Amino acid sequence: MIKLTIDEKTIEVQEGTTVLEAAEAAGVYVPTLCHHPQLTPYGGCRMCMVDVEGARTLQPSCTLPATDGMVVRTSSEKVIKARKFVLTLIFSERNHFCMYCPVSDGDCELQNRAYDEDMTHWDLQPNWQPYEVDASHPFIVLDNNRCILCRRCVRACGELVGNYTLGFEERGADSLLVADYNVPLGESTCISCGTCVQICPTGALIDRQSAYQGKETEVDHHVGVCVECSVGCRRDVLTRDNRLVRIEGEWDADLNHGLLCDQGRFLPLEDDRTRLLTPLVRKNGSLKAATWEEALKAISDNMGQGAGLAALASTRLPAEDLALFKSIFTDGLNAGLVTSLEAGKATASLALLAEKLGKPFETSLDALKDTDAVLSLELDLVDEHQVAGFFVKRQLLDGTKLIVADSSQNKLAENAACNLPLKPGEEAQFLSQLLKAVAESSEDATLRDVAEILKHAEKPCIVYGETFASQADEAALVALLELAVTLNASLVGVKGQANSMAAAQLGLEDPIKTDGVKSAFILLGDQEPSQKLVKALEDVPFVVTQAAYSSQMTANADVVLPVTMWAEQAGTYLSMDGRLQKSVKSLDAPEGVLTSHEALLKIAETLALEPDTNWEASLKARTPTVAFQSA
Amino acid sequence: MSILDIDERILQVVELVDLRATPITDLKEPDIEGVDVGILEGGINNTYNEEVAKKMRERCKILVALGDCAVFGGVPAMRNFVGVDAALKRAYIEAESNDQEGKIPSSPELAVMTRVRAIHEVVPVDLFIPGCPPDADVIFYALVELAQGRMPDIKDDKLHWH
Repeated sequence: MIKLTIDEKTIEVQEGTTVLEAAEAAGVYVPTLCHHPQLTPYGGCRMCMVDVEGARTLQPSCTLPATDGMVVRTSSEKVIKARKFVLTLIFSERNHFCMYCPVSDGDCELQNRAYDEDMTHWDLQPNWQPYEVDASHPFIVLDNNRCILCRRCVRACGELVGNYTLGFEERGADSLLVADYNVPLGESTCISCGTCVQICPTGALIDRQSAYQGKETEVDHHVGVCVECSVGCRRDVLTRDNRLVRIEGEWDADLNHGLLCDQGRFLPLEDDRTRLLTPLVRKNGSLKAATWEEALKAISDNMGQGAGLAALASTRLPAEDLALFKSIFTDGLNAGLVTSLEAGKATASLALLAEKLGKPFETSLDALKDTDAVLSLELDLVDEHQVAGFFVKRQLLDGTKLIVADSSQNKLAENAACNLPLKPGEEAQFLSQLLKAVAESSEDATLRDVAEILKHAEKPCIVYGETFASQADEAALVALLELAVTLNASLVGVKGQANSMAAAQLGLEDPIKTDGVKSAFILLGDQEPSQKLVKALEDVPFVVTQAAYSSQMTANADVVLPVTMWAEQAGTYLSMDGRLQKSVKSLDAPEGVLTSHEALLKIAETLALEPDTNWEASLKARTPTVAFQSA
Repeated sequence: MSILDIDERILQVVELVDLRATPITDLKEPDIEGVDVGILEGGINNTYNEEVAKKMRERCKILVALGDCAVFGGVPAMRNFVGVDAALKRAYIEAESNDQEGKIPSSPELAVMTRVRAIHEVVPVDLFIPGCPPDADVIFYALVELAQGRMPDIKDDKLHWH
């Protein structure tokens, strides 16, 4: 332990602690700009300078290691004077015209630091050299005029996301934030995760959707789980006057630490589908607006029960809804098919294995964050479950070896140390060959290389997705387990949509077959139905669809019940690695629109059913593939 | 003009001060013998603004820069990115509202446009009240303090640049 004094307070800290961290621990505030808790200290802005007794000059506290006996002053006259001077230099370096900036007066860290120092003006005039504004990107605007060269965005893009799109061109005052080799951001390798916008302390990187739509003092925050996939990132939904303003990653979230992908951050605000605002009932061949009573009566008159009834639910819905859905259609109506729209493709085979073993065999996604060798089996972590992909990508420059085994073009392949061809259906054969290469040797040189990498890894990790889970037979899964045991590797199973795991726990995983089905109930929520699903239900005589948005599915239905979209409902989600998390209601639903849960309860009431509402017990009744963690 | 945002409170201010000159009173310039406080709104945009600023500085014991234009240059300073010639051409010749014979005014009586500057780039300023516009409460506070011989302290909730 190291003992030091900061502003007359004595504090003990671990070796390796920076003076800034020690000051925070001692409850002493030191202003910063380029520093961010999620990034490696950089020491670029000089905002955090402190007076260290015996030191020749002021020192940047963010990069200065604390040493024993150090005496630090954070607000001496010299320090305050230097802070103002640093701010003056930063303001005059570019063209900071706060009156036309969307982050001005509250949301700008640079301006806030100046307010803290009681700066009513700055003494040096701005640069006046205009910089071009890059508005080529669909979501992000890059304005070098407001850049303070802190490189938070560059570091976030590389250190956190592993994408390395942003960088700096030239040096000193000529430094320019650019994408790739100075191409327009919209034509660059940017994947629109938006982390750079969220981390930018000024208005140099802003997002088009929320610019000028509401400042921190004007918005409401709703922190909950993202429902765009099963990674289970925590995010903050910002609203104003019952309108979505912006979505941000939660910096404090244990798993994603502020990261989101385009699907979680930007795309939900781009949804321009037509909302359903009233129940619809088919009369004389065409759908007509109806009351809830009329719609419920049509369901009670025509839906029927037993073998001829099929019920399908979206895995984007909360666990409460899925459990209620299952209870109504399995226990109450004894339907011939009760399943999810995913039909257990990503989960069914794995769930069976867990039941057979009698215990979970997969691990937390955290294993992907700290691994030195990753074997990816038939899995796309670039376009789907992207944040899990960031965990892998960002470690590659530090020596983590990636091995990609896939049949189709895999975008991670170009970053891989080895690429192995893997044909669907031949998983068992592939894994036993790899197992042999690990245990003994192999004639195949690539397999030998892969075996060497995996054997010498301290924390190997095997990650697989829906294609693998849906193709792998029992022999393949046995080989997978054996390989994991031999290598002492973590197994990470990437599931499908947000509540893919909850659906698996509820046993909603039967394949969708509609032959002989007389009536169907589709709990769509805000999911966009696939063409395949629409086609499969075309010949079903009576279809009820419970949906938030108008689609071909609702157009073909006989009864349509309007329900809420993700932001208008609350509920529980079970992530791919067993974290139970809440989504929160961020918006009020339009009048006359019910949550899926409320609508299901109305149906149960109309049909005189008494469904089981203890969703948590239903969810935990089955041995999960990965242990539950309460978040 | 933002001073008028203080509404009826202006009467309280008038009771405390001897208002010598404003652009809307008969006397447009401060007395040659000098005054205690002078307030300037707007940045320095042309040779006339320069003259006014210098005269104000000479005759006022305390010179106040009021508003973001006076403190930073403000919206007019955007023209510094293109230069005076391009700005004049755009406004008097290219603008859609001009007739076919649009021409740049060039009477010798007119002030010559310059680069837009904050006031303190031309003459020293004693008090900066930023804001676009500054809040009425801040203006009132500053005027009342100045009128009673105290220097206002613009900070915390009184400090907004907008």
